Parts: sequence; structure tokens; C-alpha cells
Amino acid sequence: MGQANNKGYLEQTETIKTMIQTCIQCGTCTASCPNIEFMDITPRHMWRLLMTDHVDQLFSSKSFIMCSSCYYCTLRCPRGLELTNAMSQLKQVASKLRLKQFRRSSLFYEAFLNSVKNHGRVKEMEFMTNYFISMKNPVIPFAYASLGIKLLAKGKIRPEFSFGRKGKLTALFKKVAELEE
Amino acid sequence: MAIGKTLVAGAGLSGIRSALDLAETGYKVLLIDQSDHIGGLLCQLDNQFPTSKCGYCRMLPMFDRDQSSQHCLRKGLFHKNIEILLSTQLMSVEGEPGDLKVTLKQNPSLIDPSLCTGCGECERICPVFVDDPFNEGLTKRKAVYLPSPQSFSNTYTIDYTACTRCGECEKICPTGAIKFIDQNREKFKILVVDDEKIVRDSMKEWLKEEGFSVTAADSGQKALELMDDRPFNMMLTDIKMPGMDGVELLAKAKEKNDDLCVIMMTAYAAVDSAVEAMKQGALDYLTKPFDPDVLISMTLKVYHEFEIAEARVEQVDALILAGGTEFFKPNLGKNPYGYGVLPGVVTGMEFERLISGTGPGKGKLIHPKTGKPVRKIAWFQCVGSRDVQTGAGFCSSVCCMISIKEAILAKEKFGQDLETTLFYMDMRTIGKSFDDYRLKAREENQIRFVRARIHSLDEDLKKDDGSLLARYVDMQGNIHEDDFDLVVLATGQRPAKQMTELALKNDMIINPWGFIETTPFSMIKTSRKGILSGGSLSGLKDISESVTCASAAALGACKIMHEAGKKTIDAHAIDMDETDLNGLAVLARENPKILTVLCSCGSDLTQTLDVESLKLDLNRIPENKSVEIMDKLCTDEGKKTLVDMIQKTNPNRLVLGACLPCIYKQRIKELGKESGLHSSLVETLDIISILKQYPDSQIPEMTQRIERELKILISKARFKNPVPKERLESNQNALVIGGGIAGITAALSIADCGYHVDLVEKDDTIGGNLLWMDKTVDGLDIQAYLDEKVKELEFHNQVTIHKKTKTESTGQHPGEFSTLLKKEDEPKDPGETILHGVTILATGGGQAPLEVDADDPQQKELTQKEFEMGVQDQKIDPEKLETVVMIQCSGTRDEKRNYCSRVCCIRALKNALFLKEKNPDIQVYILYRDMMSYGFYEQYYTNAKNSGVIFFQYDSADKPLTQMQEDKVLVKTRDLLLDMPVEIEADYVIHATGILPDLPKALADQYGASLDTFHFFKEADSKFRPVDSMNYRVFSCGLSLKPCTIEEAVVTAEAAAIRAIRILSHERLVSGKIVADTRTATCSMCEMCVDTCPYGARFVDSIEERIVIDPAACQGCGVCAAVCPSGSAVLEGLDMRLMLDSIDMAVS
Repeated sequence: MGQANNKGYLEQTETIKTMIQTCIQCGTCTASCPNIEFMDITPRHMWRLLMTDHVDQLFSSKSFIMCSSCYYCTLRCPRGLELTNAMSQLKQVASKLRLKQFRRSSLFYEAFLNSVKNHGRVKEMEFMTNYFISMKNPVIPFAYASLGIKLLAKGKIRPEFSFGRKGKLTALFKKVAELEE
Repeated sequence: MAIGKTLVAGAGLSGIRSALDLAETGYKVLLIDQSDHIGGLLCQLDNQFPTSKCGYCRMLPMFDRDQSSQHCLRKGLFHKNIEILLSTQLMSVEGEPGDLKVTLKQNPSLIDPSLCTGCGECERICPVFVDDPFNEGLTKRKAVYLPSPQSFSNTYTIDYTACTRCGECEKICPTGAIKFIDQNREKFKILVVDDEKIVRDSMKEWLKEEGFSVTAADSGQKALELMDDRPFNMMLTDIKMPGMDGVELLAKAKEKNDDLCVIMMTAYAAVDSAVEAMKQGALDYLTKPFDPDVLISMTLKVYHEFEIAEARVEQVDALILAGGTEFFKPNLGKNPYGYGVLPGVVTGMEFERLISGTGPGKGKLIHPKTGKPVRKIAWFQCVGSRDVQTGAGFCSSVCCMISIKEAILAKEKFGQDLETTLFYMDMRTIGKSFDDYRLKAREENQIRFVRARIHSLDEDLKKDDGSLLARYVDMQGNIHEDDFDLVVLATGQRPAKQMTELALKNDMIINPWGFIETTPFSMIKTSRKGILSGGSLSGLKDISESVTCASAAALGACKIMHEAGKKTIDAHAIDMDETDLNGLAVLARENPKILTVLCSCGSDLTQTLDVESLKLDLNRIPENKSVEIMDKLCTDEGKKTLVDMIQKTNPNRLVLGACLPCIYKQRIKELGKESGLHSSLVETLDIISILKQYPDSQIPEMTQRIERELKILISKARFKNPVPKERLESNQNALVIGGGIAGITAALSIADCGYHVDLVEKDDTIGGNLLWMDKTVDGLDIQAYLDEKVKELEFHNQVTIHKKTKTESTGQHPGEFSTLLKKEDEPKDPGETILHGVTILATGGGQAPLEVDADDPQQKELTQKEFEMGVQDQKIDPEKLETVVMIQCSGTRDEKRNYCSRVCCIRALKNALFLKEKNPDIQVYILYRDMMSYGFYEQYYTNAKNSGVIFFQYDSADKPLTQMQEDKVLVKTRDLLLDMPVEIEADYVIHATGILPDLPKALADQYGASLDTFHFFKEADSKFRPVDSMNYRVFSCGLSLKPCTIEEAVVTAEAAAIRAIRILSHERLVSGKIVADTRTATCSMCEMCVDTCPYGARFVDSIEERIVIDPAACQGCGVCAAVCPSGSAVLEGLDMRLMLDSIDMAVS
């Protein structure tokens, strides 16, 4: 089996593999998935790639990022597998390994969580600014401009800037980081 | 010595099989069932695969047929050795094998069967409607009803739990058969405890109105004082009371009287404490405020239990549990398919009822919402099986085949343009003809098979016509959406709740899912001695497996009774009137004097017939002495009038026209005994069915019709003479051919029951395939088991073992075979001729040889057997291996051998788990088409996945290829899901080549048995007579019968043994009433009759130069009489004159 290109993913995905080991490829997860049209690899394919150690292929696609954690697949899997958890672990591996193709979404999640960490909620303007800065790409804000204006007009985001640390969630985040070790 | 007696609990398919096997052997059987009819699940199923017909009646006795009923088992059953108790439950078992004390509880009947005429007035007036369980709740029935539409019995039954005791039926019953007044509710004492006066008073009022005696107490203390004073049967107590609360009272009251039924009353908010009280022994609880009806129905249920509390205790030698299984209820739990919510979602059983002629649609398939005919049906497999979310880590084994059958049936009944789709994960066609059946379904019936699991169902909102929308993904990952009118859920098995409870109460081990666990290598022995499990109690089985298991359980019981020194009933002591040959001869010389009796059935008959003209016409026939009209012949009183009439007028033949229950054979026999009339000279006509068939007929027309029918019968009676039953000397030794585990088990089983067995083995060692096997998948030691069995066999004084021996030639005579045995390697051996009454063909089979194109000098491509032996001989060291590939269906399930060998997938899982255990780093790949890990073997599939074995599914059109590469084998296949080629370098490739039977056609022919298309033994009926051949003295078991695991080989051997013992236990066999014969004087010995006889009942006696007949084998079908060119083959009792005269009467 050709696994030469697995670039150290294998070690990271070993626990995820054991999570889905008893999968019988019935396709329940795939047919259940509401985001399936945005995925180029179906969930069933992802499990198959994991199982047959084709992790490079798995990470060459961004399909698992599309998982919106609706838990349909977990609810319906006849093998009782925790598929939504497996998806989020894949996301974590991608972020941990700082894989280039997932940079954007990793940074997005990071900026989002930082905002939550600081304020106990998302401050949209701060979150957006931080995200744009971390992307280090001056063109990106323009790509979002029209959406931003729409949101502003509807009052969905507020143009306030507060960079000070006011939140009390630091302890919680610390604990989570510990648990993830 | 006493006669042996066995209790069979459960009178479904397997219960009936066990009971009949024991009864035919000559033991007494007590057959009970908790339902109100016999026949079990099969009463609701009209058609079985592969024939789309039913063959339930094929289980009936073949010889001495007149001792039992000879009609459809759904209509009822009797056998002189079987006592049947319906609406009866087994409560407990005590004692040791050979001396068991069983406690039974029987629902008392409120309807006197000797008075009920089945007129149906009670049903008409009954105001209570309940879901009819016979139609799976698709229709309603009354609280008083006829138990099954097919039954011969016309006695009504009352549903105790539904009946409100309104008494309307009692008032209307014309014969006074219903008696509610017998209930003495006064003696049922109820104590009501509540601190609120208004509650106390109103409850007292309600309960008194129902006739109970009620006492009230305002506190716990007072209640306890009252209890000291007198005993109570039931207590209703409030929970929240000042002073002593209800829970405390419950504990104290239970101390005083443990049998007291306590019902708690509580406010809605305090349900928790009521539940707590139930854990402490309360029976149930009522939430305040409650409806008086709820209180009354709960009280009536308790009262009903009280009524039947007097249990019946029976002494038996052995107990067979045949309680069957239940189906998974898809509305429990998450219910993703909306069962019970969406119209058009039904279970398999409901579908069978929907399409049944006796079902709610009367044979039409109508959409439940729109009322339009159904055109698109889908079947979903694995609903409540192979689904850990519903607590089922197992496969239910039979649903795949049931669903295919239902799809074919639907097409056959409702047109080939009906669209049928079957959604499945693995199509488990695990029997020898199953895969063929699937292919036929796909190719000939155009049933669409889709490998996908449907996650959930919803109504198609775009269409709004009740269509159901199913969304699924294909192998390539494309999403599809399909609409269906009807969705059938193939619901899985669950243990029968009552049987699990019984097992727990009586110290029997159950498996993690609640099914009864059997001991190693046995499918019938429970952990408790003397108690056997028959049928699907230890896991769902199809008809043939259930029947096999039930027969094997009967053998277990037979052994217990034999060991306990119990006798069988002397078979040839038959009824006096049938043995009195002189009497019969005198009767034959007498002039026929015929009495014709018609039952008026209330006034139905006289209103639809011109009785006077009928009488006039019939009396013109000289032999017909008189025509009488009588009433209510179905009641005991009616029968007595008829007996009196016969004794007064003294006819020697009787023509009886009445309803079905009156002309039931058993009843005619009773009539014969009581009146002295020979029962074979009674001709019967089901007159009511004819009346019902033509409801719009005018009186003259109907009179003519009935007259013609009666004339035919009168002419039959005129020419019919009593035929003495024949008795046949029957050899009581057995011959078993084959010394594998099946042969060993069959020989031991027969020998253990006291009959001599010759066992012939062609090799010089006994043990067959088991010799090369080490462990089973569940880790059982095969060699230890085999050693034990071989020792038992060698030291058995009833067994003669002939090693290195072959059967040379066979002679067949009525009641006996003679076989010449010769030593294999001694050509000059004159041989030894043995005489035997039965033959068991256990010649076994083996693994098919491996056919690979590639040159393989290093022996890297092995069969499963070669691999296992290589490991045992230490030629293969698992620890030194890196990669092993297993290829399933290598040479089976294709054009060459189109059957599934059943055992290879399990063997592959076993080997994979073994390799992973010895060497966790090894890579094991299993290439399969459908994983056949049926039943509880599914857990080993899961285990293999968990241990890291990788499975690749392959397509039968694109089989894996192998290629030698130095010391490795390169395996090329495709990953169907990822749609890419896969190449694996393997140290070894293990092929599952399947099983080849080893039953030479010449050998089968010698004994009058035959082979099926795959060269296995051909069963007389693959479903209902799974180990018999058409020749009633020849049986088969083990691999020569079908591909099977060790336990399955053992169970077929045990089944074959009891089927043989039921013949061996008789010194003489008694024939049926109608038996073929040959008029030797006119016979030209063309032997056409011998070739045609389907039962092998005709032989050529070359010394006497004539055709002889085995009267026990003959089933009276008459094929020989039809084929004989000279009219020399005849059926005794149905001669030419009689037939021609009847035809004359019918057409004149």
C-alpha cells in the first residue's frame, strides 16, 4: 500500500482511526450530511481514507472543515461511532500541524476564540480585524467588504473597538488547553 | 415401567415439530402455548421461499397417519400422544432430568366449548373493539372473537384484558355457552387506604359496583389493624398520608402478606416515589386524579390473575422450550423511519398481512393514506439488527431472505410492473440455495438491489401524495433521492420477553442480548439439565433451521426419557374396530344401509333448501334408508342425538352434511366409537361452506347443488368397504455412512436411545474434517471435543464401527435395507451383509481445491485449511509475517458453484483474529463480496475491525488477481469506495474456496435418495423436512446435506437421529387407510409404477417376480394407479367401480 506521502499525519490521526475502526461503510453518515454538496470527499470516503492510511489524500481536501457539527451522522450511525467528534479531531490535527491549505480556517477559528477568550463573547469588529491581520493579506478585507456593509446595515455587527482584556474565561481556556495536551 | 412424557412449551412451528417427533416415536407430549391458537407465527405467513407456497402440512406423520390430523396445521392439530393446552403459560420448573415438576397457569375459559356453536352472535353484539394481533393491528376485532381465521374450531374466545364484562354476549348467546356469573368477585377482597374521605368513598362505590368486596381505611395504622383482622387480596393505597405514608405501609403490609397485590396512588408530581414503591414490590400505580375506568381495568387485571392463581402442576421427564423470538419494535427509541407516524411505513410482518388473502386488504395492496394502489415499494434491511444504537450488535440472519421473498411475492401478486427496491448493507444469502434465489430475484423478477443504508425517512413535501422520500448515497459517493409509496422495514429479532424471564427465574444462562445460551457445540442444550431449547429461542432461525433445532431438541428429550428408563407406547396396539379383521369381512358382505344426516345449523339450512324435495330425491337411491335433519351437531348434546339415532336405525354407513367442526376427523372417530359405526364408512360434506359460497342462490338452485354433492357421497358410501390397515415388520437397526462429526453424533444419538448402529467410515480414522481443526471462532477446543466423542463412540456397546470400509451394494425390501460392506483395500474380502431399518448419509464434504493460474512453487497461495494446518505444523510462523491477504468467495458464488458456503467468512474472521493476537503488528486484509457474519457471529466482524483488520469489498465481475513476486504475492484489487486500484504485497494469500459435498450419486441412488443441483443431498422439503429424503427411511446430516459449522452439523445429525428413531422405535409400522396395492395376476412387471412412485414405496421382488409395496411408505397419492397401463396398480378402498359411479352421480 502506498503510504509514502503521509508526512507524519499518521501519528496524529492514529487515535481518530481507532474511533472509526468498526465502520462498515454503510454510507449513513454521508446521506445524512446536510453539507454534503460542499464537500469534495464524502464523510464515508474520509473514514475509508483514514482506515486505509491514505491520510495525505484526506488532508489534501478541505471537506472535513465543512462539518457544521449538526450531529446527524453520530445520531444515526449503526455502529454508534462518534463521527462528529472524529471530524472535529481532524480539524484539530489540521490546525495543530499548521497545514498550509487549512491556514485560513485555522486562523479564523483562532481569531474567533481569542475574541471569546477576551470578552466572553465575540466582538465582531475585533474578531474581523484580528483575522485580517493574521492572514497577512491586504486584499482579503476587500473581498469581505460587501458582506461587511450588508451586515453593518442590518445591525448584525457593531463598529466598536475594544482591545482591552476584560474577559474572565482565561481559566477555562487554560483548562481546555491542559485537557488537550 | 412408565411411559415417557415431555412438556413442549410453545406450539409454533418448532414446538409442533418437537411434539410430533416425540409423539411419533411413541412418547407422551404435553404441548402448551400461551396464545389462543396453535401454529405460531406461521399462521400469519401464507407463503415461504423458495416456492412462494406453504408446506406446513409436510411436517405431519408419514406412517400411521390416522393417529393424527391430516390437514393444514393452521387449522389445528391432534395426535393420540399429544395433549394440547392453549392460553397456558409455563411458570416454573423444578427437579432433575427424568423427574421434572412443571407449574402451568391456564386462562379459564368463559365460553364452554361443548356448547358454543360458533354462531357469532356474541361477536356481533360485543361493543369493544381492539387491535387485531393476527393482522398485526392493521384491523380491529371484538373482545370476543375466533382465534384464527383458518382454524377448524369454531369456538369463540374472550380477550380478558379487553373485555369490560358488560355481559351483552352472555345475554344473547342462544346456547348459554357464555357464563360470567361463575365469577365470584365477592371473594376478592380489596382494601382502600386514603386519608381523604371523598376519595375513599368514591373508590368504594366504583369497585362495589363491579361486584368486589371493598373495605376502606383512613390511615396506614388502621389498614394494618384491618389486615390483622382478615386477609385481603389487593390494596390500593395513597402515598402521601399523615403518619405512616404509603411506602411504609407497603413494606409493613408485605411483611404480613407477601402475596398481597399493592397499587399505589399518587399525585402527578410524586410519580418518582410511586416508581420507587414499585421497586419495593408494588404492582403498579395510579396517578391522581384518575378515571374510574382506569381503576377498574387495573383491578380486573389483578382479579384475573387471582382467578387463574390455581396452577396446574405436571410431572414430566424433559422440557423443551420453543417460545420463539419477538421482532424489534421500530417505534421504540429514535424511530428514524417514522414507523407509526408516517403512513406507508410497515414492518415485514405487517406487509405479509397486507398482501395476505385473509389480511385487511383482502389480497389488494392499497396505500394507507391515499387509498391508491401501491406501485413503488422499498425494503430496508437491518432495522434493529447490526445497529448498536438499538442495542443489537448482531445480525438477525433471516431478514435478507424474507425481504427478497416479499419482493418476489409482491411482484407475483400485483404485477411485474410493480417497482421493488431492496436496500441492504451485506446481502446475507447464507444457505445453499439462497444465492441462487437472490440472482433469480434480480434477473427474472427485476428486483432492484441497492447497497446502501437509508438513514431516515420523511414525506416528500413537494408531492403531497403520501410519497416517502428516501435519501441515500451510492458507492461512488453520489447522493440519490427516491420516492416510494410503501416502505417495508425488515425488523430484526429480539428475545421473547417471557422466555428470558422464565430462563432467569429458573437459573438458565442467557447471552448478553437476552437469548438463551446453549452449551458448547450444542444448539439445544441449555445450561440447565433436562431443559432443551428448540427453534429460534437461542437466536432467530429460518424455517428449516428452526425445524432442525426442534427435532434435535426432541432427540435430547428422547435421550433423557430413555436414560430415565421410560418406555414408549406400544405402537401396533391400535383401535379394536380396525384390527378386527373378521368383523371387517362381515361388514364388507353386508348390504349397504345408508343414513344421511344434515345439520340445520340453527335454521340456515331449512331457509335455503327445499328439504322435502331433497329427501324425496335422495330416498330414490335404494341403499339410502333415510334422510334426517338434525340441529346443533357441533354441540355435545347434538352429537348425542345423532348417536341415539344411529343406534336406533342401525345403518352401516353414514353420510353427514354439516359445518367443518362437526366433520373434523377426530370428531367422526369419537362418533364411530360411541355409536359402533365404523368411522371409515362415514362420508362427510362441508355443507355450510357451500351455502356461504353462493349467498345469492335461489332455493331450487341451491337444493340441486347440495343434492348433487350428497349423491356423490352416497354413491361413495355404497361402494366403499372397510380396508384393514396393514402392518409392516420394520428393522430396528440403523446404518450411518460417514464417520465425521455428523456421522459420529448421529450414531451416538441413536445408540444412546437404545438402538444398534453400524457406522461405516472409508478412512482408518474417525473424525473427518474435525481432525485438522484446532479451535472454533469462539475459542472452543475442537480436538478435545472430538476425542471425547470418538471415545464415547468406540466404547458404546450399541455401536459397531467399520473403518476402511465401503458400501458395496444395497437391497431394498419393505421395512428393511440390506447393505453389503466391504473392506476398502482388500479386494478379496467377501464382505459382510448387514440389515438395517434406516440409513443416515453423513458422507460429509471438504474444502474445494484452490484453482490459481499462477505458478506457486513456494506455496504462498493457500486455502484456509492449508493455512491452518501450516500454522499447526509450525511451517507458518505468524510472528514472522508482515502482511496476509484473505480472498473470500474464491471460486464460490459464481457460475461454477453458485452457492454460499456459509462458513468461510467466519473462518476468515477467526484466522484474522488469531493472526492479530499472535502478532499485533501484522497487516491483515480481507477481500470480500458480502460479509456473511450471520447471527451472533457479527461480533467477531466487529472484533476483527477493532483489532485493525482492513476489509476491502470487491465486485464479482472484477475479482482480485494474484501474481508471484519473488517470495511475495502481489494482490491487485480495487477499492470500490475510493474508486482506485489497490496493490498489496502479501506473505501469504489465503483463499476461501468454499465447501464441496462428498455424496456420490451412486450411493444416494442405492438408497433412493437424490442430489440437488449443487450435488448436496436433496431434502424432501428444504423448509419443512430439512434432513429427510423422499424415501422415508433415509436421512442426511452434516456437510453432505448443506454447508454448515460444527454446531450446525451436530444439530442436523441430532435431527436426523430422532427422525430415524421415530421409525426404529416400532417393531411394526402401521399404514394409512388408503394404501396402494398391485394385482399380481394382471401385472406385466413393466416397473413404471416403481419409477413413478415419489415416495419409493414400490419395489421389484426379483425372486417372487412381482411388485411389492411398503405400506408405511405409501402416502396413497394414486400416481401408480394413474400410470399403470393394465390397471393392476390400485388404491385399496378407492376402486374403479366407486370412482366411476361417483363421477356418474356428479354429472347426471
